[in-house]
Amino acid sequence: MFRKLILLIALAGATLSLSAQEASTPAAEPTAAAPASDAASTQTAPPEDFKSMDQEVQSLKKDVLDLNRELFVLEEDLLFPANTQIAVFVSMDVGEFFALDSVTIKLDNKEVANYLYTEREAQALLKGGVHRVFIGNLKTGDHELLALFTGQGPHARDYRRGATIKIEKGVGAKYIELKISDRASKAQPEFVVKQWE
Amino acid sequence: MSCLAAAVSASPDALIGQPAPDFALRTFSGQNLRLSESLGDVVIINFWATWCGPCRQEMPLLDDIQAKYRRAGLVLLSINLDEDQARAEEFARTLKISYPVLVDAKKEVAKAFQVGNMPATVLVDRSGVIRYVSDGYKSGYEKRYTDKLRELLNE
Repeated sequence: MFRKLILLIALAGATLSLSAQEASTPAAEPTAAAPASDAASTQTAPPEDFKSMDQEVQSLKKDVLDLNRELFVLEEDLLFPANTQIAVFVSMDVGEFFALDSVTIKLDNKEVANYLYTEREAQALLKGGVHRVFIGNLKTGDHELLALFTGQGPHARDYRRGATIKIEKGVGAKYIELKISDRASKAQPEFVVKQWE
Repeated sequence: MSCLAAAVSASPDALIGQPAPDFALRTFSGQNLRLSESLGDVVIINFWATWCGPCRQEMPLLDDIQAKYRRAGLVLLSINLDEDQARAEEFARTLKISYPVLVDAKKEVAKAFQVGNMPATVLVDRSGVIRYVSDGYKSGYEKRYTDKLRELLNE
């Protein structure tokens, strides 16, 4: 909402800037009434005007994009301040023994995220992608995070596994990585929960 | 149905011009599909249930439309709202439809799309914006879908 408001202000600014330019163009009109010798020079002038206007529009577009990016960061900082922020990421390594279907995250026994992975998304994870499945706020103190993974395990059997971790939330953002990897020795998938400070 | 209608406060027409709410649902076959992965294609989203008579008439016609325009960039996402999935699967099998059917037993997606009457059909353009909403079905509506669809495919 806030972002939209700022963009509207930026666009209004653009309109004003363009109208100001339009307002300045009548000054060039009297040259049209100038002698024929000057006519050739006035005919070449408009393309330059257009060029400068186009450049101005392009730079304005760039400004709007920059502003949008800054606002996105600001919005995230305001909604999820570093002191209370918790983010949970999902990553996969190999994945020969597990085809990911969904991940459910429970924080202190309350479901906070439930994400269904499409085939394309699961493939992206296998290629090294990391997915932020949850971002939220958490008070300082001790908490419990439960991650439930569903998918297909070895021999295409339906597979459901949970992994729990005790979190001690202090001051500063907390990052948790849920890593799915293969345990070749047991021919089974392995679910590792890792904390990043 | 009554609980579905209660969840709906605004007219679905209000969604026209708005970005389509993204969702991911499981199909009867177990595959997960996400709407945003169809960006770049024109998408028909059709909500139906086994207790809905007009759905029975409409679904084979949608199957024909999909067969005809699939190669031009049409994706049809059919969303079933029954709680009894086995019954819905049987229904779809009887109608011999070839497109994937997604399951929205919790009706979360239906609420996001403000579905009030059944069937409900939503057309989403290549950039993910809702461009047409149809509440219910009467004979001849498929012509409207085709006209609108052709317009969107040509954009």
